[in-house]
Amino acid sequence: MKAQAAFIALTAAALAAPGITPPAGAAPGAKIDFNRDIRPVLSRNCFFCHGPDEAQRKAGLRLDQAASARADLGGYRAITPGEPQESEILSRITAHDPEERMPPPESGKELTPQEIARIRDWIQDGAAYAQHWAYTPPHKHPVPAVGDPGWPRGWIDRFLLARLDAETLSPSPQADPVTLVRRLYFDLTGLPPSPQEIEDFLGDARPDAWERLADRLLASPAFGEHLAVFWLDLVRFADTVGYHGDQDHNISPYRDYVIEAFNSGMPFDRFTREQLAGDLLPGAGLDQKIASGYNRLLQTSHEGGVQPKEYLAIYAADRVRNVSQVWLAATAGCAQCHDHKYDPISSRDFYALAAFFADIDEARHFSEGSNELPTARPPELDVLSARDRRILEQLDLEIARLSLTESESNSTGPDRDRLRRLEARRAALAASTRRTMVSVSTSPRPVRLLPRGDWLDESGALIEPALPSFLDAAPSASALDAPDSSAPRLTRLDLAEWITLPEKGAGLFTARVFANRFWNLGFGNGLSKTLDDFGGQGEAPVHPGLLDRLALEFVECGWDTKHLLRLIVTSQAYRQSSLEPSSLRTRDPENRLYARQSRYRLPAEALRDNALAVSGLLRREIGGASVKPYQPAGYYRHLNFPEREYRHHADLRQWRRGLYAHWQRQFLHPMLKAFDAPSREECAAQRPRSNTPTAAMVLLNDPTFVEASRCFAERVLREAPSHFGARIEFAFRLAVSRSPDPAEAKTLRELLEFHLQGYRDAPEEAEALLQVGSAPPRPGLSAIEVAAWTSVARALLNLSETVTRN
Amino acid sequence: MNGLAPRAVVPSEPVLRLQRRAFLACGGAGIGFAALQTLLARASGAEPSPLEVRGRPGFPQHAPRARRVIFLCMAGGPSHLETFDYKPELARLHGQPMPESYTRGQPIAQLQGQELHCQGPMTQFRRHGASGQWISDFLPWQARLADQICVVRSMVTEQINHDPAHTFMNTGSAISGRPSMGSWVTYGLGAETDELPAFVVLTSTGGRDPQPIASRQWSAGFLPSRFQGVEFHSAGDPIHYLRNPAGISAAQQRAVVDALHQLDRRRHAAIANPEIETRIAAYEMAYRMQTSVPELTSISREPASILELYGAQPGDGSYASNCLLARRLIERGVRFVHLYHRGWDHHGDLKRYMGICCGLTDRPTWALLTDLQARGLLDDTLVIWGGEFGRTPMFQGKGGPGRDHHIKGFSMWLAGGGIRGGTRYGATDELGYHAVENPVHIRDLHATMLHQLGIDHSRFSVPFQGLDMRLTGVEHARVVRDILA
Repeated sequence: MKAQAAFIALTAAALAAPGITPPAGAAPGAKIDFNRDIRPVLSRNCFFCHGPDEAQRKAGLRLDQAASARADLGGYRAITPGEPQESEILSRITAHDPEERMPPPESGKELTPQEIARIRDWIQDGAAYAQHWAYTPPHKHPVPAVGDPGWPRGWIDRFLLARLDAETLSPSPQADPVTLVRRLYFDLTGLPPSPQEIEDFLGDARPDAWERLADRLLASPAFGEHLAVFWLDLVRFADTVGYHGDQDHNISPYRDYVIEAFNSGMPFDRFTREQLAGDLLPGAGLDQKIASGYNRLLQTSHEGGVQPKEYLAIYAADRVRNVSQVWLAATAGCAQCHDHKYDPISSRDFYALAAFFADIDEARHFSEGSNELPTARPPELDVLSARDRRILEQLDLEIARLSLTESESNSTGPDRDRLRRLEARRAALAASTRRTMVSVSTSPRPVRLLPRGDWLDESGALIEPALPSFLDAAPSASALDAPDSSAPRLTRLDLAEWITLPEKGAGLFTARVFANRFWNLGFGNGLSKTLDDFGGQGEAPVHPGLLDRLALEFVECGWDTKHLLRLIVTSQAYRQSSLEPSSLRTRDPENRLYARQSRYRLPAEALRDNALAVSGLLRREIGGASVKPYQPAGYYRHLNFPEREYRHHADLRQWRRGLYAHWQRQFLHPMLKAFDAPSREECAAQRPRSNTPTAAMVLLNDPTFVEASRCFAERVLREAPSHFGARIEFAFRLAVSRSPDPAEAKTLRELLEFHLQGYRDAPEEAEALLQVGSAPPRPGLSAIEVAAWTSVARALLNLSETVTRN
Repeated sequence: MNGLAPRAVVPSEPVLRLQRRAFLACGGAGIGFAALQTLLARASGAEPSPLEVRGRPGFPQHAPRARRVIFLCMAGGPSHLETFDYKPELARLHGQPMPESYTRGQPIAQLQGQELHCQGPMTQFRRHGASGQWISDFLPWQARLADQICVVRSMVTEQINHDPAHTFMNTGSAISGRPSMGSWVTYGLGAETDELPAFVVLTSTGGRDPQPIASRQWSAGFLPSRFQGVEFHSAGDPIHYLRNPAGISAAQQRAVVDALHQLDRRRHAAIANPEIETRIAAYEMAYRMQTSVPELTSISREPASILELYGAQPGDGSYASNCLLARRLIERGVRFVHLYHRGWDHHGDLKRYMGICCGLTDRPTWALLTDLQARGLLDDTLVIWGGEFGRTPMFQGKGGPGRDHHIKGFSMWLAGGGIRGGTRYGATDELGYHAVENPVHIRDLHATMLHQLGIDHSRFSVPFQGLDMRLTGVEHARVVRDILA
């Protein structure tokens, strides 16, 4: 970090900088708000040299704190409240002389005239500083009054509508019921509704039909599977070690734990504790140990020539990045080499956080890790999932009951047969354990502050675990019975408690981070759109009052994820149409004000699941080891140690949900990758939503989708009355839950005729198409008809409407 | 050329003429026609395709010397001590204990905790060309390029294990999730074609037990995913899912795509979702690529003299074929080609494996530069050769004598694209351990590459997680001006 010029931004030309752009910023006529209007400007332009990082600070001036900014600098002050002309900062940001000008021209940063004017006004008004919004605990903002009390269903709607009122915008009308049902199914389960489920809802005249549907979906096992995807992205869950040989490692029971936790409604604070410190909980059971696999999810390496010390430092940094991003939306990783540039996170905070994990037994893999599949990552346990254990219990009961009957009476043949079958099933299930990495606490390794992150430099101080000090308002170590030198070392459990305790810890902050992410699940963007950065460079929420309210609600309801999601999806705002009038496109292109719902392409897993569901191929077993969908031959040819040949599963596992797909970090399945699923090397709080030719080729040509189209076609031919009108109606309802209009039917009829003709001329081509995939062709159907309808099905599965959550 | 190249295989006048007409020469109806349509559409003021990859406004930031890059990555880490860094003193100390003054406190990979001995060069070095560059006998063909390349003998990196070292070389950071340099370059400058991905990755067969290479190495990181590298496969479909499904003819595929467009357009008229137009464009480009990519990757259409120049056998997936493919790609407007050969991790039997790897790569490398020059493409194509690190002056004996990973000093070369050929820059100490004269960090290499492309690395950043991220990171990076023409 030699010269300030060495760290230079190209804000204007680069990606749209995170920050406030109209209309997401101030409501019309609003007063200047430090956090919303001033801090982002100072942070982006000034804090690099005049911020929290002491080593980098220029002229001893810091502008992120009022006292320093207003201090006497020898006859002048950077900021003199109420007197812009007496404020050095203003003369510097308006100076023409490049020697005087701030930020320095070589930094590439520049303030806009509007920003300069805003700073002038702010100083004029008294230059009031405020605690950074995300470091201020959420508080109960009063629910605002609205113009049309008929529209809101609850306080969520009132917060949103009040802002729309101020903008003289109106909310969108309610979406049509079919769109609504599809939206709710995709948002809560990641699966499409069946035509029957659509009918059921349309036929339900009860006033609370919507709430009932939400409750039913929240109670369905698919809910936990869908939420698991959200979680597994955050914690970077994958089936392989990530570095070098990228061997498989054992971790699938952890995924089952996550599904189960969401389905059973496990309170989020407990969910957090079990993952960070399940092994340390008093009376830790098997599930808690499986949960503690969280600490083992990171990328690891046993490449020949790794220096354990270096890699332990790499692992420590990886964990700090993940814990801070997942639970606190803090970019603490930045403090590995230096104090944070923008947020008050010191290097000491970083290493103190790392020290919590220094007890984890993990160094054995440097010597015991093998180039086999799976490799070894001790300590590991052989376990049954909670679900399997429940089934085992039921089997035991049933076996006991039958045995009793058998011994009491001279039992009949069927009973004896049944008993034998049950015993065989029990034995098979009991033997079907899977191995999984767990946390085991050992004597903690010493953790040193590494100057500039250099693991070879041993000159830094030894650091003990300590709770982060950067959430100023959250009581840190001191409130948790201040440790003195004689106090026992803080543990991962202390950290987990601190993260979730609302009064004594950072629980309210954590709740706000997740309230924002759950909102994202319902609206397609966050109230603060930087889902992973609540620091000074992140975006202040558009609706701080609403976000705080949601956070408090999350804590008050007992960290009940289902409750919070239910609150969101039963709002009137959620039910709005996602159609975008051109006026709104100009006024609010990013839909930050929620005058409509959002529409976006389905995530990768949902795209797969949707095609499988529509075709009737989808398997609904929950949990288990990862599965291997079809994949282009040779895709793993760059993997080595060992070399790998991918074999797709040729049994029912082929048609399981996308979340169970084998997650190879170095070579993520090309379908998942084409639709923006993350490699899970690092925390991913939000997936991009791209629209590329590669993705088009996947949906058109990937055998998974070709096979699904063919089975969809077979379904149409078998289940619908045998004339075109009925068949296309049936097919359309399966794919997009509505009837085709005459023009649509005509287009598809022509497509069908074209293909029928083609396959009559070349029936062997029809046979070839039917051979794609491993589902055997249905007997009794004409191959020519199936092949021709397969093309109709392909068109339907590729429709923008099919792949879009509206 | 120095007149060293065998005359018979220098591209002939017809080839050069073809090059001047490169655009329309791209072959057949496929790519040429579609590209022409695009051009005409643009000329008539029609809307650009929503997929067109444009550069950043104001880019290039200064007059570029290079418009594209071919990065020849010798994965595994070729020994500088057997290629470009001649160390007679190391030969003299051969077999002696390695002086501790060199190694104390240094990161060491597989030789951790072992006794360290000097290992003299395992081949001869000679001076070549008018410039008198020292180049080893392992590289007789690259020796002919002595006056065209600039050898940097003072490279320094920070990662001593392969996987992170590649990540560091390609993204400037060992932390996963950062964009690869090819993504950065295409993000900054955009594409010169909308028929092909702007950033293409090629990997080659052959050599020692090949290095694993993660797709992370061509990831777009936090940049939009259209900037990620697209790997062209030498076997099977050149791009995944490029081929129509079995039993679907080209006409049938077209009919499906047309029906899809009709239905989507109808829906678009009703709900006005601009994403639908982007989708239609994506499907169109996908459909075009189904025709143009197989044509492009089929090098069998090249004249026999060209195949002979490279030593390429169509369809063999070799480094030679990939070098030829790289030329075809950049001719068609691809911005960044990252070409891997994966056999260079020579912990033991170094002599044997150097023989194999150089045998597979040396001549094609020469051929690529020669061909580029003959076509007038070398002037604005920057070619970079090197591995993710070098190898120790110390002996390692997995099998016969070899060398361990080494990061404190190693060699790479650059050519074309405004680089001053026939020069050497920087030096390691007398044992080839530390870069002691004009060290060039990976960051400096990145800064120099960007500079030649017309980009000021210090003013090329993207906000991500609260930071202004740059390829060259936050530490000081410099453009190595001494090697520029």
